[in-house]
This record gives sequence, C-alpha cells and structure tokens, in this order.
Amino acid sequence: MSSKAQLSWVPFFTLFRRECMRFQKVAAQTLLTPLINSSLYLLIFGVSLGQHISLVSGVSYLAFLIPGLVMMSCLNNAFQNSSSSVGGAKFAGELEDFKVTPLSEQQIIWALSFGGLARGLIVGFITYLVGQAFYFLTHGAWLGVEHPLILLFFLIVGGLAFAQLGLMVAFWAKTFDQLSVVGGFILLPLLYLGGVFFSIESLHPFWRNLAQFNPLLYLINGVRYGILGISDVPLGFAAVVSLLALLLMYVLALRLLRVSSFSRW
Amino acid sequence: MSADQSPLEIKGLRKSYGSFEAVKGVSFDVRPGEIFGLLGPNGAGKTSIISVVVTLERPSAGQALVFGQDVQVNPRYTKSVIGYVPQEIINHGFFNVEEILSFYSGYFGKRKNQDRMEWILQRLQLWEHRKKKVKQLSGGMKRRLLIAKALVHEPKLLLLDEPTAGVDIELRCSLWDFVVELKKMGVTILLTTHYLEEAEKLCDRVAIIHQGELRCVGETHGLIHELTQRQVVVVLKSELKPIRHPLLVAQREHELEFRLPASMAVGELLLELGLDMAVVQDLRISEGSLEDAFQCIVGEKS
Ligand SMILES: Nc1ncnc2c1ncn2[C@@H]1O[C@H](COP(=O)(O)OP(=O)(O)OP(=O)(O)O)[C@@H](O)[C@H]1O
Ligand SMILES: [Mg+2]
Repeated sequence: MSSKAQLSWVPFFTLFRRECMRFQKVAAQTLLTPLINSSLYLLIFGVSLGQHISLVSGVSYLAFLIPGLVMMSCLNNAFQNSSSSVGGAKFAGELEDFKVTPLSEQQIIWALSFGGLARGLIVGFITYLVGQAFYFLTHGAWLGVEHPLILLFFLIVGGLAFAQLGLMVAFWAKTFDQLSVVGGFILLPLLYLGGVFFSIESLHPFWRNLAQFNPLLYLINGVRYGILGISDVPLGFAAVVSLLALLLMYVLALRLLRVSSFSRW
Repeated sequence: MSADQSPLEIKGLRKSYGSFEAVKGVSFDVRPGEIFGLLGPNGAGKTSIISVVVTLERPSAGQALVFGQDVQVNPRYTKSVIGYVPQEIINHGFFNVEEILSFYSGYFGKRKNQDRMEWILQRLQLWEHRKKKVKQLSGGMKRRLLIAKALVHEPKLLLLDEPTAGVDIELRCSLWDFVVELKKMGVTILLTTHYLEEAEKLCDRVAIIHQGELRCVGETHGLIHELTQRQVVVVLKSELKPIRHPLLVAQREHELEFRLPASMAVGELLLELGLDMAVVQDLRISEGSLEDAFQCIVGEKS
C-alpha cells in the first residue's frame, strides 16, 4: 500500500476541487439558504427574544448565540455537503467512477471531508459576518474573536467530523429518504440540544447530565470559547472529546466505504 | 510487463447475486493487441464479468487477471491500465464535458492533460459540445462521453460494454473505425455488442456466453467455419432433371443449392454428385455468418 502513484496528491486535489466546484455551482442552495437561515435565527432569537434572556456569565444573549450559530452552520453544511455529494453521485451512477479509477479509499474520504469542511467554513464565516452586523446594530460595537487559533481548531475538527458523518450516512443509505431522515431526525435535535441556544447551566439537572453525552456540546462550546473566551465545559476536555469524535467518524466512514455498494440507486 | 503477457485472463470466474448464479465458472484469455468480442444474449452475464474486472463486483470464485495482476489483489495497478465504458449512462449533475474529463484525468493522477483531452473530444466529435452538461447532450453524445472518459489516461486495456447502444448507423461506423484506430495504437480491446454483423467484421476473436456459461471461444472466422454450414450454389448451363442428395436444400431451374458442414470439402460434394464439369457454369460459395454461429449455440438448448 505505498507505491508512488498512491502518494500522488493529484487525485486528492482533483476530487477536492470537484467538491468545491460542486457547491459553488449550486451556491443558491448551498450558500444563500444558510445565510437566510442564520439571519432568521439571529433576528428571532438573538434580537427579539434575547432582550428577555439574561445569562449567568454576563455576556449578552446575542453574543452568546453567535458562536453557537457559527458552529451549527459549519457542522450542518459540512454534513450536507458530503452527504448530498455522495447521495447525488450514487443517484447519477457517478460513484462507480470513483470505484473504477485508482482513487484510494483515503483519497476519497479526505477529499470529500475537506470539501465539506470548506463549505462549512464558508457558511460559518458568512454566519459570523451576519452576526457581526446584528451585534453592531444592537450594541454599537463589533464582537471580537478572543482566541482565533482555538476557534479554528474546533471549526476544523468539527467540520471534518461532520463531513465524515455525512459520508458515512450517504455510503450506508439506499435511498434519498434515508439520507434526509438522518439529517432531520438525528442531526438537528443533537445540534439544537448541543447548547447553541442556551447554556446548559440553565437546564434542569437531568437534562444537564444528559447533555454531557452530546459530543456537539463540546464542539459548540469550543467555538464559543474561541470567540468569547467562555465555555460551559473545560476546554481541554472539549478538545479531547472533539478529536475522539473525529477519529470515530473517520473509522466508521472508512468502514462503510469499504462494505457498501458503489452501484447506483 | 512483458509483450506477450495476456492483458486479461478470466479464470474459473463465478458470480452470484444472492442465490442466483449469473456467471458459472467462465475462463478465457484476451491476447495482446486484439479486439475481443464478448457476445451473448441479454442476461448472459457479460456485464457481470466486466464488473468483476473493474472491481465494481467481487467474484464469488475464480480470478480476473489484468496483465498478470489479480484485480482483487492489486486493484490500484489494474485500474490504472483499464479504460472502462459502462453499459449504463452516467450523469454528472452540474459539470460540463470538459470539467468531467479534467476531473477524470486527475483521478488517474494526470494534471495537465489538455492535449490528450482535445484529441479525444475532436476524435469523438464532442469538441463543439464541450461546454455542455450531460443532460444537455443527446443519447449518442452521452455514450461518446463515456468513451472519452475511458480514454483520458491512455489505457492499455479498453473494456467497452455495449458502446454503440443507441448510436445511429453512421456514428456506429465511425466509432468502430475509432476502435480499430485504437487497436493500431496498441490498445487491447474487449467489447460487448448485440450487433453481430459488426462484431464479425471487427473482432479478431469472440467468446459466446449463454446463461452464465462459456459456450465457445476462438478466432471469429474459425468459429464461424466450425459452427455454421457453408452455402454452396452450383449454377448450371442447362436445366437438370431433379436429383437427390442429403445436403441438397433447393433445386431451381439452373441452380442447385447445398449446405455443407465444415468437415466436408466442396470437391467431395462435386465428386459425389458425379456432374459433368462441362455443364457447371459457376460455383457460388458463401460462408455462414457470426449470427448463424450465434444462433446455433444460443438456440440449441435454452
Ligand atoms: N446487481 C444484480 N443483482 C441481482 N441480479 C443481477 C444483478 N446484476 C445482474 N443480475 C442478473 O445476472 C444476470 C446476468 O446479468 P448481466 O447484466 O451480466 O447480463 P448481460 O450479459 O450484460 O446482459 P445484457 O446484454 O442485457 O446487458 C441477469 O440474469 C441479471 O438479472
Ligand atoms: Mg450487459
């Protein structure tokens, strides 16, 4: 498993470029829709409801909400990108192309994950900009980034993990319906209950204990620490959990790539 | 890789889907530089065999070797020398012809492949359509795009699974010309088609499979000779009284029509008839066709 051709970066970059071109070609769906979504969340939760919510940590609710929304957009879009790319490729028969060319499993997994991450980062950044605009309008000042490297770490680890979750689900799925079921019924609740909209400190102890098992809690709090410098959970622990989540997703995605069929739907 | 290394060897290949066995222990070799026809009626198992070669399916038993390498053991190598044209059209959503080919080149590790791509597109008459997406192409163009994709990396072994399905006559001819041109460039070609007349002209050797079993394999003309009966028409100067002969098919005014098995020489027939050579005006001999041979094999027990 280590010939020259295998180490070549050309197949990897080609597939990565394809992934990026794919979501740019449908920018209306992939970039504009998330922009509108985050604006609505910010308007409804951050601005209207936020005035009635006070937080333990003393930051304004809008400031608390923005990092959560940034991460939620990033994760959701990373997932959507890789899952719909593989789902679409299965539907079109294009996935067979991946199988009959010398692309390796590693090249497929990582090129598709980085493609998902790229879209996640772009949408996350757009969400951040929209958040900034709302923050400026309501607070008369900009919201800074406290720890840019920590922010980047959590965005990248989380984005890759979710892109790989998307791959895993799409390799496993036999129909588009199965894909959307996972997206709708599993992913969204996890995202919502991962501490995007509220601090788990404010929860009933039962829910607070349960929330500890949601890996998204750590990813989202990591990003919140990166931007605001505050977190509901210890940062080091959050970093470890995030890396473990990535490792788990990677192993599962690779496994499903190996066992599942490349043939068309 | 030596020059006489077989580009493709199928050894005792079996393929089951669930409890249904689609390929039942098929073995054959494809020789370097030849055009090899894999023929058989619908559902015979042709696509299943090709799918194993390109690793889309795993064999249930047996092996497929490409230039001596087992496709299951060393797939990165075998995939890099195979060009594969699938039977089914592949869609590519948002991408146009040019983008698809450049991605495809990249998957094979080729970064700057402009010249090769242009040559292929020109040769397959797709150049003026290079900015179109797959759904904007006609059926025949889509099929040519599949062929274009299979050629970007200069494969040594080209597998064409019904490359001319849905292609009009004129284009079919030009496609076959192209296949012959590729052969001259040293590419070994395995193809499947239901156009037996075209296969007869094109293929150096053919294999006929039926219900997952290999029924025969060999040189196209040798097979035809072996499996079909020659039609021999003796044209006479004058009318003859009705004659009797076991091989006689029809007697017309000036003509006697016979069907001759491969084992019998025309001279033998003439001797048996005991005709005066002076009355024989002409002798018309036509070989059977691949289609006859095919019918003879596929029709016998089904
Ligand atoms: N994925 C599959 N699952 C179940 N059965 C299959 C599958 N693919 C093929 N078969 C069956 O295997 C047999 C051989 O199919 P195959 O596609 O190899 O035939 P073929 O020779 O290519 O036919 P055609 O000329 O129609 O393309 C058929 O009976 C078909 O129904
Ligand atoms: Mg077929």
